[in-house]
Amino acid sequence: MMTLAQGTVNQTYVIRDVEAKDSMRDFLFTLGCYSGEKVTIISKLASNFIINVKDARYSIDEGLARVIMI
Amino acid sequence: MKIALAGNPNSGKTTLFNAITGRQEYVGNWAGVTVEKKEGPLKPELNREKADVTVVDLPGAYSMSPFTSDESITRDFIRDEKPDVIINIVDSDNLSRSLFFTTQLLELGVPVVVALNKYDTAEKKQSSIHLDWLSERLQCPVIATIATKSAHNSGLKQLAAEAIRLGLSDYRQPAPHIAGTRHAATEADFEKADKKRYEFVSRIVADVEHRKVSSASQTAQDKADRIIASRWLGIPIFALVIWLVFSLSQAWAGPFLADILVGWLDAFQSWVAGLVSGVNPFLSSLLVDGIIGGVSAVVGFLPLIMILFFCLALLEDCGYMARVAVVMDRFFKRIGLSGKSVIPMVVSTGCAIPGIMASRTIKDTRQRRTTAMLSPFMPCGAKLPIIALFSGLFFGNQGWVGTSMYFLAIVIIVVSGLIVRRITGDASKESYFIMELPEYRWPSIKRAALSMLVRAKAFIIKAGTIILICNAVIQILQSFNWQLQLVGDAPETSILAAVASPFAWLFIPLGFGLWQFAAAAITGFIAKENVVGTLAVTFSVTRFISVDDLALVGGAGEVGAVFGIGAAAGLAYLVFNLFTPPCFAAIGAMRGEMESRKWFWGGIAFQLSMGYTLAFLVYQTGTLITTGAVGTGFVGGLTAVLVIAGVIGFFMKRGSKLSESMEEGVHFAG
Repeated sequence: MMTLAQGTVNQTYVIRDVEAKDSMRDFLFTLGCYSGEKVTIISKLASNFIINVKDARYSIDEGLARVIMI
Repeated sequence: MKIALAGNPNSGKTTLFNAITGRQEYVGNWAGVTVEKKEGPLKPELNREKADVTVVDLPGAYSMSPFTSDESITRDFIRDEKPDVIINIVDSDNLSRSLFFTTQLLELGVPVVVALNKYDTAEKKQSSIHLDWLSERLQCPVIATIATKSAHNSGLKQLAAEAIRLGLSDYRQPAPHIAGTRHAATEADFEKADKKRYEFVSRIVADVEHRKVSSASQTAQDKADRIIASRWLGIPIFALVIWLVFSLSQAWAGPFLADILVGWLDAFQSWVAGLVSGVNPFLSSLLVDGIIGGVSAVVGFLPLIMILFFCLALLEDCGYMARVAVVMDRFFKRIGLSGKSVIPMVVSTGCAIPGIMASRTIKDTRQRRTTAMLSPFMPCGAKLPIIALFSGLFFGNQGWVGTSMYFLAIVIIVVSGLIVRRITGDASKESYFIMELPEYRWPSIKRAALSMLVRAKAFIIKAGTIILICNAVIQILQSFNWQLQLVGDAPETSILAAVASPFAWLFIPLGFGLWQFAAAAITGFIAKENVVGTLAVTFSVTRFISVDDLALVGGAGEVGAVFGIGAAAGLAYLVFNLFTPPCFAAIGAMRGEMESRKWFWGGIAFQLSMGYTLAFLVYQTGTLITTGAVGTGFVGGLTAVLVIAGVIGFFMKRGSKLSESMEEGVHFAG
């Protein structure tokens, strides 16, 4: 298992776990970002990651990328 | 009949609301623009049955699950106000996430009509959606819409007709069959049920949607993002964009248009002056100099404001602002805020009131309050005339003056954020940031023009009411003394001078210790446009904008001489007006969002201290550089600034002790 922050650009991974605290974990869930779902890293910018989950693009910071386990 | 509009953030609810009601509510191409529900009647041409239809636009939500969402406005509204129909706006390009919320809406028993919005974008990407199949699976009508178009093929007519038909019937919406959703009671139950819900959605999407290009593949937009939001180029690009906006508004097109307008205003003023030449000199002066002169001094800047609003609307529409939030996140994190706080600040560049209200989408209380407190530091449209006047007077209308005020505002926000973080003893290490990135699109000139006209109308109404009254009051107060005798050529003996002088005394160390400047700063709290109006009335110069030489501020030397202050003091006055507390209406919004007396009064005190300190530093440093000696009242001002610094330092020290004794909290910016 590794974190999304360690992933490579243009790769699609299956989410294994989201280790954020409750409210953030729940919020990610409503976006379709939870264990078993797919996530694609689109690019790494300044200190943010652009990811694709369920046909939508999000910008997340490194901290959040580190708690999404793939 | 009540029709509720519900859907995910940035699915186009407010755009659709505006399209079917004919209203002009504020829209932006990013998530979370609408923070309060808005109501309006359906347009008559969409309402053939002549039914009594009210449309309610609700803030965006991703979910209604009791344990997973803070966006309870939708849930509360549907429970308490019982709409007859729900129009669920779904982004056609994002079925797999959006339909999750749809399935929840379908369970309420209220008839649902799904509007597959932004249908043109989906078509452009060569993905096709089988509308009939989708309708069958969801057991509700599905209509493809393009809310940004008013043409006949936008689907809006059909949507309204369908909604009215269902609203008039007593149809009860059947719920989709999803295992475990009915009897869920605990959080674990809900989570399980919600996973099933997502599976249900995935099965539907797999059947009805056909995508030629996977959404996970790299696009030209992603390439653009890598430049626009990159580590090194992000900030320079943002600076360039802001500079272009300011140059266009203040140096290129703005002054040209302003000259034409001021020509008309001058002609009008002379015409009125001719009409009233025989009457009582006080009354004619009240009308001609006070009311018409003061108001037209403000209205003269209207073209500049309109161009600014037009450019801002284009920027908001194209999707760039969400990228600015990404670029800024890095810096905002250091001050205990997140990129989310950028949106309220960007909105504040138009007007601080919706900006402050936009902070409501920030979940963390401390971050929300700090954002509401710092957002008004961004120069709003009403502050533009002040910037234009002083940059014209002392710096030859350069675009860089406005741009630098923007960036100064950002620097001040960052510094203030650090101070507030220390005062509140925030020790959170973790502050997550997540934001949906909307797709770039060509901004619509029509929408930008409409948004500009709406704001211009509001500005003219303000000029004709609040500003007119303020100018009349100022004119009266400076015409009489306490014995109610006309002061004639000695306005320094007037009531206004007497009231403003104690404040002026406080401003001596800032370089503008004249009662006229004090009076203008005070009326600025009623509306920031008043600063320019009051200066015009008290100094009796109504012609800030010259018609003769095509320069924004003509005869800058003359006006400067009338003001009797130098460039350093002028800049200090500009800085003071930009970075003190905002107008009363925005202060009211601040109190509303902060929901704490302590934060509110602390915020006001902080903003006042910031304005005073900055103006002091600007004036004294400027004077030292230009003349080689410090300016007037240096010792007194320095004492005041040191006292301010001491008080802030004390609170910061107390705050950091507080944080050491507290357990490390974890905050979320989601």
